[in-house]
Amino acid sequence: MTERSERHDRVFWSSLFSSRQDGIRWWWIAGALIVSAVPLLLAPGQLTTFVLLGLSAMAVVGLSLLMGYAGQVSLGQASFTAIGAYTSGLLALHHTPPLLALLAAPIVAALAAAGVGVPILRLRGHQLAFATLALQLILLSVLGDADWAGGAVGLQGLPYLSIGGFELDADLDYAYLVLAGVLLVSLIAHRLVRSRVGRGLRALATGETAAEASGVPVGAYRLLVFAVSAAFAGLAGGIYSFFLGYLAPGSFPVLLSIEYVVMAVVGGLGSIGGALLGAALITVVVQLLTTLATQPGMPSYAPSVLSYAVYALLLIAVVLFVPKGIVPTLRRSS
Amino acid sequence: MAELLQYLVTGVGIGCAYALTGSGLVVIYRVTRVVNFAQGSFAVLAALTVTTLLGAGLPHGLAEILAVLVAGLIGLLCGLVATGKPGTTPQTALIVTLGLGVLAYAVEILFWGDQPRSFAGLAGSTGGVQTHYLLIIGVTAVVLAATALLFARTDLGRALTATAADPYAARIVGIDVLRMGLLAFAVGGALGGLAGVLITPVQQVSFDSDVALVVNGFSAAILGNLTRPALTLAGGLLLGVVQALVGGYLSTSYQSEVALIFMLAVLVARAGRRGVLEAA
Amino acid sequence: MIEVEGLTVRYGVATALDEVSLEVRDGEMVALIGPNGAGKSTLVNTLFGILRPAAGRVTTTGRLALVPEGRHLFAPLTVDDNLRLGAWRDRKGRDTGPIYELLPELVPLRKRPAGRLSGGQQQMVALGRALMARPDVLVIDEMSLGLAPLVVETLAGHLRDRHAEGLAVLLIEQNARLALDLCSRAYVLEAGRVVAEGPSAELAGSAGVAAAYLGLEA
Ligand SMILES: Nc1ncnc2c1ncn2[C@@H]1O[C@H](COP(=O)(O)OP(=O)(O)OP(=O)(O)O)[C@@H](O)[C@H]1O
Ligand SMILES: [Mg+2]
Repeated sequence: MTERSERHDRVFWSSLFSSRQDGIRWWWIAGALIVSAVPLLLAPGQLTTFVLLGLSAMAVVGLSLLMGYAGQVSLGQASFTAIGAYTSGLLALHHTPPLLALLAAPIVAALAAAGVGVPILRLRGHQLAFATLALQLILLSVLGDADWAGGAVGLQGLPYLSIGGFELDADLDYAYLVLAGVLLVSLIAHRLVRSRVGRGLRALATGETAAEASGVPVGAYRLLVFAVSAAFAGLAGGIYSFFLGYLAPGSFPVLLSIEYVVMAVVGGLGSIGGALLGAALITVVVQLLTTLATQPGMPSYAPSVLSYAVYALLLIAVVLFVPKGIVPTLRRSS
Repeated sequence: MAELLQYLVTGVGIGCAYALTGSGLVVIYRVTRVVNFAQGSFAVLAALTVTTLLGAGLPHGLAEILAVLVAGLIGLLCGLVATGKPGTTPQTALIVTLGLGVLAYAVEILFWGDQPRSFAGLAGSTGGVQTHYLLIIGVTAVVLAATALLFARTDLGRALTATAADPYAARIVGIDVLRMGLLAFAVGGALGGLAGVLITPVQQVSFDSDVALVVNGFSAAILGNLTRPALTLAGGLLLGVVQALVGGYLSTSYQSEVALIFMLAVLVARAGRRGVLEAA
Repeated sequence: MIEVEGLTVRYGVATALDEVSLEVRDGEMVALIGPNGAGKSTLVNTLFGILRPAAGRVTTTGRLALVPEGRHLFAPLTVDDNLRLGAWRDRKGRDTGPIYELLPELVPLRKRPAGRLSGGQQQMVALGRALMARPDVLVIDEMSLGLAPLVVETLAGHLRDRHAEGLAVLLIEQNARLALDLCSRAYVLEAGRVVAEGPSAELAGSAGVAAAYLGLEA
């Protein structure tokens, strides 16, 4: 890293925790309050959906940042969810305190991203899309063959997460844990886009060479966003492993990465609100259709057909007719 | 020795499927600059269509040919959705084809379920190798040669090449660039469909086989930067043979990584060289 | 042949052409001159339907063919194939024989890929490709740019011959002297507006044009 980019990083990290910067609008706070009441009103099955929605949202906030600000298409975001989940799972099974195991998840995911990011972030467009896809396929194949990771069966019998003697053993606990996670991730993302890094990356999106010429350390910023976005997914993966108590390579298929892309694109790339809305909208629509499709008399394949159709049609329709995504479009017209 | 020969023939056979899939990607990319993520779906849809046609009593041969034509038609429709709206950039179209690939899952499960399927190919064996592999190799050779002739020797082929080379100039001389793109999608669909039809008797297919196919096809084509048909053929055969050898002598569990690592290596090496050139 | 009235064309918010009116009549050879960025190529692309006017009207009658700025040959295809594609609209008229008679310089290049030719050879192929469409009006954008004087002379000779046979020409040129020499009438475009027009002799005599484009003292 160059000296300059180190300085930029210091500015970024300090801005993250300073309250000088404006921008958290009142409706963000109102929204957070309303949403935090939601878990209390949900039935047990719906709580599971709520938790999974929140986990998707965390990964999607990262992906949206990456795609919107670093202009990169990643078809491998679920790799980092997997890395986070396996990190937490393996550590917890090897008698690491669960909280520590959870904290390790985003860190290991970010380190992994930084490692592969150095060579592959030089790729653009479809090349990066295929490279990230390839990395995920390799990861899944390695995990599926690795005895230390439980092979295709994966890891089972993970302990519950416990924080300071309090064991999170109810779905409701995880609902609030996930809410806190979403909040944290959104806050970091928000600070990141307002920081010098975010401004530099916006300049970069409009004209790379110009940004580079004006002294923006393009490569370092892009790597930073890639690592941060991986950390978000990794944290989601870590919570996931404690929530479900088991994991397998099959829990993180390529389709999960594509699902994240759909959510990010539908909500609006580069928009945190968009990422949250995209994740919520798609999870809820798919859940409603699944409920509908599992009614008696419906064929057994109905749920998967309907959910694939929803992903596909929403993605295509939004890309063609609302190319900026829902939230940025609404914001512009209001 | 007999073993080695067997691995080579099966490797070339599987490699032909990669080469066909990759050639479809190349045809579409050259003319439209769109990397068609749904390329693997053409193979799956065509293969599943064959099972239905055979089930309906159509003879072998006819069923396969019809399925390839269906794949061509599906390719055309994909092209229409991905590039038909004026002002759609290739980047946008890539995302659209990603969506089309997922849409194909819905269609496939709806009509054919989510279990793997297969159908009989050419029976018997020749010199210790399943005869069907020889059929795959023969048909691929003929079809790729015919495709090359189409591009080199017909006015339509020249117009496709012209559109690929310079869309602006193509418009000026009155070539309908959108229509050429759709034609390319149709050809790409048929080539992908052929891959699926040929390979399914030796490797059963299910709705999500498309990812492996498109990744292998892309890996085959990336050596020629998605624009060189001959290098795509070479890349496909190379991958097929190396995979067969790895699977035969080392372990089948490393097989799928061969193409992936090859692709990453080519991409990164090329980006590295570009980086050096840019810095100079 | 070509009639442009009050044409305005914009790239986003930037106005490239501002109420331009211009006319090329039957069999006429007209020059359009002006500095870099004046909007000449924008006008060409609007004539050929590649850009849409924000206001105003473009009317053309008869067949139009274009020798575009930068030549835009189909680099991987042979000279012969480039010529054949020039007649793409005309499925039956793809015989390249007559063009080789008109432009004998192309005969030895027939089988060469267009991308491997020199600039002058390429411009000749671009002219041949446009003539393959058997146009009533030929539009040439930057005919002489980057070419050796001898080559320009040859091209100008061909143009004179085609014009003598009745072909109308709209010649867009940086080399104003050449353009005024070849054409009977001319328009001067500056910053998207027509700032002068008239018979070539008159324009060449006007002080402003002479100073700006012919390098003469006013
Ligand atoms: N695609 C484009 N997008 C935005 N602006 C453009 C575009 N093409 C041209 N322009 C601008 O429009 C103006 C006219 O350009 P045009 O190419 O028509 O000029 P020209 O007279 O042909 O110049 P030259 O002599 O350099 O060929 C210029 O200011 C140019 O920068
Ligand atoms: Mg110009």
